[in-house]
Amino acid sequence: MNNLYLIVTIAGNRVAIPATSVESVVEIDRIDPVPLVADHVAGLFALRSRVMTVIDSCASVGLGRFVWDGSAEAVIVNCEGHGYAILVENVDDVVEVNTPVAASRAVLSAGWARVSVGTIEVHDEALLVVDPVRLIERPFVVIAA
Amino acid sequence: MDDLLVDFIAETRETLETLTGEIVAWEASPGDRTRLDAIFRFVHTVKGSCGFLDLPRLEKLSHAAEDVLADCRADRRQPDGQLVSAVLAIIDRIAELTNALESGDGIPDHDDAALIAALAPGGGNQGQREAEAAPATLVQTSSPARGMSRSIRLPVDLLDRMMAGVSDMVLARNDLSRRLRESGVDPAIDAAFERLSVCIAEMRDSITRTRMARIDNLFSALPRMVRDLASELSKQVSLEIDGGDVELDREMIEMIRDPLTHIVRNAIDHGIEPAADRIAAGKPASGRLRVSARQAGNQIAIEVVDDGRGIDADRLVEKAIANGALALEKAAAMSVQAKLNLIFLPGVSTAKQVTSISGRGVGMDVVRANVERIGGTVDIDSRPGHGLRLTVRVPLTLTIIPALTISAGGQQFAIPRSAIEELVRVGPSARLSDLGGAKIVNIRGRRLPVVLLAPFLKLSPERDERELTMVVVKPAGGDHYALAVEEVHDHEELVVRPAAPALMACGVYAGTTLPDNSHPMLLLDPAGIASIAGIVGDLDDVEDNEQAEVLATERVQSLLFRDLDGVERAIPLALVERIEEVPSRFASFSAGRMRLSQEERIVPLMSCCALPHVDTYRVLRMTDGNAGIAYAIAEIVDILSMDVICERAIEPGLIAGVALVDGRPVEIVDSFWLFAEARKEGFRPEQEPVCLLAAGDDPWARQVLTPLLRSGGYRVIFPDSENASQADIVVHCDGDAGQTANGAEGTPVIRLTTDPDPAEPDLVYRYDRARLLDAMRAGIRHRGRG
Repeated sequence: MNNLYLIVTIAGNRVAIPATSVESVVEIDRIDPVPLVADHVAGLFALRSRVMTVIDSCASVGLGRFVWDGSAEAVIVNCEGHGYAILVENVDDVVEVNTPVAASRAVLSAGWARVSVGTIEVHDEALLVVDPVRLIERPFVVIAA
Repeated sequence: MDDLLVDFIAETRETLETLTGEIVAWEASPGDRTRLDAIFRFVHTVKGSCGFLDLPRLEKLSHAAEDVLADCRADRRQPDGQLVSAVLAIIDRIAELTNALESGDGIPDHDDAALIAALAPGGGNQGQREAEAAPATLVQTSSPARGMSRSIRLPVDLLDRMMAGVSDMVLARNDLSRRLRESGVDPAIDAAFERLSVCIAEMRDSITRTRMARIDNLFSALPRMVRDLASELSKQVSLEIDGGDVELDREMIEMIRDPLTHIVRNAIDHGIEPAADRIAAGKPASGRLRVSARQAGNQIAIEVVDDGRGIDADRLVEKAIANGALALEKAAAMSVQAKLNLIFLPGVSTAKQVTSISGRGVGMDVVRANVERIGGTVDIDSRPGHGLRLTVRVPLTLTIIPALTISAGGQQFAIPRSAIEELVRVGPSARLSDLGGAKIVNIRGRRLPVVLLAPFLKLSPERDERELTMVVVKPAGGDHYALAVEEVHDHEELVVRPAAPALMACGVYAGTTLPDNSHPMLLLDPAGIASIAGIVGDLDDVEDNEQAEVLATERVQSLLFRDLDGVERAIPLALVERIEEVPSRFASFSAGRMRLSQEERIVPLMSCCALPHVDTYRVLRMTDGNAGIAYAIAEIVDILSMDVICERAIEPGLIAGVALVDGRPVEIVDSFWLFAEARKEGFRPEQEPVCLLAAGDDPWARQVLTPLLRSGGYRVIFPDSENASQADIVVHCDGDAGQTANGAEGTPVIRLTTDPDPAEPDLVYRYDRARLLDAMRAGIRHRGRG
């Protein structure tokens, strides 16, 4: 069971999220904005009676803002008692991968390096494994030298 | 068997916690039967369970204590210090054995016989020794004695699941309600749906409350702890506890148990001086310790105040410099408060020597770390030589708080009602002006800094500044300021949950809530907004502020509304429980007046004029503490504090008088008259005369006569009633058939006859209403005289 991955698209990249950390995948059709909050928080969303904090995954990896066209798919995760809905561009598949997560040998951009834990091989394609908790955390503020 | 044992342990432990306070209070006033009874019930229950669970040692101990307490109850023995100590020792042993049972350790091999012997009059040595140290504590608890309450234990996640489930149900209900409205269904379905709605609302309410517990659970252990510490240190301490009815999340109560214990220990160990020192300092020999809790906005403030020696800020500085926690040059620039806060640094302590109670280092750093871990704060305020006040503030993790919903920049927010002082529209009574780039508002001569909410939240304002409403807020522990909002919507009771850390990091939100429209809403934190907007309280203003507050108390917080007849009226806000929209079909004319049936209760529905034909009424739900009424209005205008002085109305009625608001007259609703009027009809005082209707099995008597007598103001009972002997008057339906009075001797009797022209003068024709009622009144009067 521990080797199931959810394949989603974030900022144009297909990535894998460990299925154990995913509660569900839902369609979001409304986001209530939160003023003054960090860029990667898109707002709030009510999943039945639970208030979810919506995470803009593009902003989390430092690649601009999520393009919101009135509805989107989101991966629901729970972190320290709070529910989060991570916006993704596409939900592709759930795959079983029996090889362990390998360290990435490619040189990743700072944003991807922060959220990924390694790579896995899916149908001859290397995919980054993304830790949703790191997507939720506030990205580093990059100060231009 | 295992489950039974686990339940027994948990139950015993829980009761022990509540009981320790009772025992110490009992010691202070041995004549107090309720407390004695509570203790007796406990040992009795333990004894019973032990017999059942086959725990002979516990049974023997509880049996011995029960015997002694039974003697006290039967006045065969007077409780004294020695007896109380002996009972305490037994209860302690019961606690030890219970703990041992749970941990599965071998039960400690104590000599129970000595404890039991100490119970005997004259007691054993041990009892004697404890008795000498005992009467050091005096306890005053403002809460009444508690009885044992019935309870069960549940895992928290089950409760959480229940809460989530019921909240989902509410949303499903709202969805269904909308669809039903759109498709215009059969009224029968509508009525059934409405019933379902009421059930769901009730269930949501009760499930939410299951998470909450009274802070009493935390405070009940204090009297015993204070007593034991005081006697150990040979100090005299009187403990006062207040605010035990404040409700807190059960989990939170567990989290603050340790920090609170620590603070109380410190107060007794380091704060309160030995009696001799106190007398030398001109203080009463007995130290005072006051522990209180109150809800302040979205926080619970727990205060521990002692009148001991306080903390010497300069000594703290010396210590901190000595152990390298503070640089010398920094110390010179520190304020007194900053110096006091040094106590929260690791390793800084003012205690001259290490004691067994609090040890060295006091552990205030640990206290603060623990409180901060749950999002709370610890504040310290010291008056050297006079005492110390420690305030622990913890957030309300999950709670229902009354809030005002407002909007700014096109978005809705909620503000906790507790922080709101008044609402004033920008106008003649609230002038907005610029002061060096900042906004200030002048409200009746009082100048307040202004935070324009929309620009503050970086939202684009949708209203001109002249159309704003000023929400005057006073955050807990902060200064007044005005929050300028675009629109004020309604008062609502909101279920507030903590927001995700990323949101809390903004510092302006206190939590999130999900109103019935299922769009998440943010609860603003007035204190956070003040600190981010740079509004700081000036300490030099403290006296002015106090004066302002004194003045403010002469004004009454009032709710300004537009009544059904279009007139603006005001009513004291304190009387208004909530404002509701109710479907007009809940209102009906029955038994002589308009009534509103809701939540399985019926309340009088008052209004200044006939109710309009609309689908929903907006009503103010008011209560005088006993009974509720509803008052239909057109709309809410404002909340403001208003002078109580007004022009009195000439005669009593709905309007008590007229006051000036913003230069225009506003009628003040006479709430006294309103409640009195609501009680007028349909209310039967207990003292109404009781009429015993003999031959009550006669259908005529039941169906025809009874309603007549009831409308005449009598309570009608029948011979089979157990109160038959208390009747004030007896009416015999077939008076001709001779006397068989069931009432007590001397009760006046009226005999009825079917003969329109009675043969005997004291017989009354049964359809002669006037004569019958006259005769009854005369009979009652006669009885009153006799």
